[in-house]
Amino acid sequence: MPEAYIYDSLRTPRGRGKSRGALYEVKPMDLLAAAVRALRQRTALPPEELDDAVIGCVTPIGDQGYNIAKAALLHAGWGNSVSGMQVNRYCASGLEAINLAAMKVRSGWEELVLAGGVESMSRIPIGSDGGPLMYDPELITRANSIPQGVSADLIATLEGFSREELDACAYHSHQRARHAWENGYFNRSIIPIYDRNGLLILDKDEHIRPNTTLDALSKLPPAFASAGWEGFDEMALHAFPELEGIRHLHTAGNSSGIVDGAALALVGSKEKGEALGLKPRARILAAATVSVDPTLMLTGPAPAARKALKQAGMKSGDVDLWECNEAFASVVLKFRREMEVDDAIINVNGGAIAMGHPLGATGAMLLGTLLDEMERQDKATGLVTLCVGGGMGVATVIERV
Amino acid sequence: MIRYKKDTNNIVTLTLDMSGRSTNVINHEIAEAFVPVIAHLKEEKAKGQLRGVILTSAKKAFLAGGDLEYLYQANDPEEIFRFAEKLKGILRELESPGIPVVAAINGAALGTGFEVALACHHRIALSSSRVRLGFPEVQLGLMPGSGGIIRLMWLLGIGKSFPILTSGLRYSPSEAMQLGLVDEIADSPREMMDLAKAWLLQNKEGRRPWDRPGCSIPGGTAQDREMAHHIRQLAARLASQGHNNYPALQSILNVLAEGSKVDFDTACRIESRYYTELLRSPACKNMIKAFWFDLNFIKQGGNRPKGFGKFRPRKVGVIGAGRMGSGIAFACLDNGLEVVLKDVSKPIAERGRDYVRRKLNEMLAEGKKKPEEAEELLSRIQTTESSKDFENCDLVIEAVFENRLVKQKVTREAEEYLDEYSLLASNTVSIPITRLAEASVRPENYVGLHFFPPAEEVPLVEIVRGEQTSEETVARAFDFVRAIRKTPIVVKDDWGFYAARVQNTYILEGITMLQEGYPPALIENLGRQAGMPRGALAFADNLGLNMVLKYENQAAEHYGAKYVQHPAVAVLAKMLEDLQRQGKQRRGGFYEYPPEGEPFLWPELARHFPATQRNFDKQELSNRFLFAQVLEAVWCMQERVIHSVAAANLGSIHGWGFPAFKGGVIQFITDYGVDDFIRQCKTYQKLHGQRFRVPRELKMFVEQ
Repeated sequence: MPEAYIYDSLRTPRGRGKSRGALYEVKPMDLLAAAVRALRQRTALPPEELDDAVIGCVTPIGDQGYNIAKAALLHAGWGNSVSGMQVNRYCASGLEAINLAAMKVRSGWEELVLAGGVESMSRIPIGSDGGPLMYDPELITRANSIPQGVSADLIATLEGFSREELDACAYHSHQRARHAWENGYFNRSIIPIYDRNGLLILDKDEHIRPNTTLDALSKLPPAFASAGWEGFDEMALHAFPELEGIRHLHTAGNSSGIVDGAALALVGSKEKGEALGLKPRARILAAATVSVDPTLMLTGPAPAARKALKQAGMKSGDVDLWECNEAFASVVLKFRREMEVDDAIINVNGGAIAMGHPLGATGAMLLGTLLDEMERQDKATGLVTLCVGGGMGVATVIERV
Repeated sequence: MIRYKKDTNNIVTLTLDMSGRSTNVINHEIAEAFVPVIAHLKEEKAKGQLRGVILTSAKKAFLAGGDLEYLYQANDPEEIFRFAEKLKGILRELESPGIPVVAAINGAALGTGFEVALACHHRIALSSSRVRLGFPEVQLGLMPGSGGIIRLMWLLGIGKSFPILTSGLRYSPSEAMQLGLVDEIADSPREMMDLAKAWLLQNKEGRRPWDRPGCSIPGGTAQDREMAHHIRQLAARLASQGHNNYPALQSILNVLAEGSKVDFDTACRIESRYYTELLRSPACKNMIKAFWFDLNFIKQGGNRPKGFGKFRPRKVGVIGAGRMGSGIAFACLDNGLEVVLKDVSKPIAERGRDYVRRKLNEMLAEGKKKPEEAEELLSRIQTTESSKDFENCDLVIEAVFENRLVKQKVTREAEEYLDEYSLLASNTVSIPITRLAEASVRPENYVGLHFFPPAEEVPLVEIVRGEQTSEETVARAFDFVRAIRKTPIVVKDDWGFYAARVQNTYILEGITMLQEGYPPALIENLGRQAGMPRGALAFADNLGLNMVLKYENQAAEHYGAKYVQHPAVAVLAKMLEDLQRQGKQRRGGFYEYPPEGEPFLWPELARHFPATQRNFDKQELSNRFLFAQVLEAVWCMQERVIHSVAAANLGSIHGWGFPAFKGGVIQFITDYGVDDFIRQCKTYQKLHGQRFRVPRELKMFVEQ
């Protein structure tokens, strides 16, 4: 069976996902096209060598609807010879795209695939595509499908996390992101966004608050208490009747930020890379998805990681560096507890709490961040995982070559 | 059936007049009758001999709801669906552009009756206290199925329709006008017909919004982000309030959400499919049984001693201006009676008036009462410190604290001023009426009237028949309870009577689970999710743990050597004696009661009753809660504490909040399947002990 290798990985900076955010003026298609153009430049790749492009996007309507992958390829001048598709695995879409690319390559039917994701949350807010899992009253009730923030609070309640622990997790995310930026750890992979005249719009993650303090974080009000009181707490108790109530501990400060951004990776077979003179950076050892309780929703990372590690024939202790998406602080704390991962080797350069979570792109960004850091620290293996809406999890294991 | 009359303006008046019935209802018969009428109207229209149609009624009701006998029996999905679609087809033909139709609503138009009115192009309501409009069927676990949900949605939008469809409220003509349910109000029947004709002379072609190109649902559809979000919130609220036990409300929301996204006719078909599913659901059948058949049995005096003329109380005396007495006073005042409220001193008696006033202010704020109504109501209460003011009272109810001697003293004083036709009633929970009546000069006129707190809200009253209470007194007490629009059930003068005795088994079962090592939150949540209004431990705290234990001790006394101690007794003893936790009144029981904020489970419970049961079978625990109550109710039937299935069922729902969607304690067995129920009890008896033993006569009660 052919092996799948990662040849390149890059991302845009993340702009605040509001109308005041720097990337609000940029069409999502431009974000993705900028990444495509950069990759073309860096690899000098003849487009006809690519078999396909798989792009994650969670709210694929309007400016990012009707297959944003094909649109961005055409926009970047690659469309004549490269086909493209859009996929949706909610928050793990970007990683799922890379996993699908790896599966394509390992099947032997394709040899070189572009994969990644894009999301402009400032333009297309989460949930604006409707959908039964969010809005069908029959299904919401049947599945006890509650807002993600309430699920995060439910996890914190079940695990007994304190507000202080969650805020500390958020504080470290900002500190680590600040440190990584100050020391240029992201430089290799960041694609600045320019306007049509070549004028710079954004070259740094905009969401980080390098000077935030634990004190400031502790003063933020709970963000999901009112949704809870509307009835979603009681729905959570339908699924978890052993609880007296839901403790609302997540705030805007210890939850992931709403941002815009895009990311890409180039995945191919060994032979194809050699033929094109590309240098492989890592091999994809395993890729897994799992389904978990839909009300808890965000506990997929641990079982997904276990499933992927089993595929790779590895143990938790064999992993040198970890990335677990900081959708909410409780997700990471729960993952660390369950997998017994030391804080020193997970999310070492911060995560989505500090830098933001551009839904469809995040998975590809995390993989790139992990790979860069593995090279910097000269580590061999890494695992990246994300929790997923509806109660799913995705994980990928890579090894440097 | 449908009278047809045409005037010189070529306006046809169709008058609904069902033969052999006191009211017009929607059934197969009337549906069939419409078919030739509509065909004939079309012919007339084609010949140019028809201007328009007025639909009105010859009965007191314009058109009451569906035929509940049919709805209760119907079970074949094909048949239910076809009949719903047929009725829809008829109404659709009536409203299709062509012949304009006016509903001249001269009586109640409720449920399906209101759906027919909604299918007319114009609605004129007669201003009369007889005219009420709305969708009360949710109270019977039903939903509109003749296009009513879809038409209302198109007329008012999803946001405004939802509360009208799910509250079960009946609106007066002026309220209906404000809500947009009718177009005009007429002051007299004659004006109503004149307005109808005038409208028809001005409107050649009736065309509903949904038959007009480019027309849309006001406020948007479930496709729109804001409406989608609103629907999501409504879904969460419904799920959290009803714990997914009441499918009617959820079906209505689903139909609104789904129906808003498709064209009118498709939406109507979706409504029929949900309607068919709902009509076949156990919850719907159980609620029709309880709130139609059982309630009618009670209302028609099913357990009232026969042969005594109707008692029409006018003036009621109440002794004791505490919460109970004040609540009883309010219930009487609110139903047009005069009240004399007595306590040891006039200022203390005045507290009762304050209570009534506070209650009225709440109702004024909520728009449930008008200022002049409140004023009039308050004018009918008199406070006093003297029993002399009980002269002319038809009935005096004693509601002082639970002490036999005090109760006997105050009733003796009152008796001095009562004549031999007046009733004397005692509101007690734990003292036998027979004992209390011993001090009375007219024990045959002495009866127990057991109200439940808050007395103005809880719809049940137990009528306790003492040994010497006369049949006539029971009949009169029954009529009094009906006069204040509550549900009377006649019970034997035995420990705990009916409601408190059965309710206690729910409490004891919950306490037992605590002893077994289930986490207290689980006990409380599963109780509520099973459909009880509160958790068992919260119930215990409200009642006071002493009282819970007292009832069980009375059971022990009652059964003597046959009594097997309930496992909860040890827990109660530990709570009361070792831990000094007596309940809500002492601000500490199974819960903590902080001076401000919500009560929460006493954290120390975890130490005294360690949660050892990590895994739990949700269904089994829910079953135990309900089975315990059901079995105790059957014992009450067998011991003749209560005398009819209807009283047992309604008493359980109206008295302590046994789940309405189960139809009450005895209907629970029918719904579960009597043989399955008995089998399950045997299993529980093995696992949990004697208290799940099946009473000998159970099967007979269920099958009667």
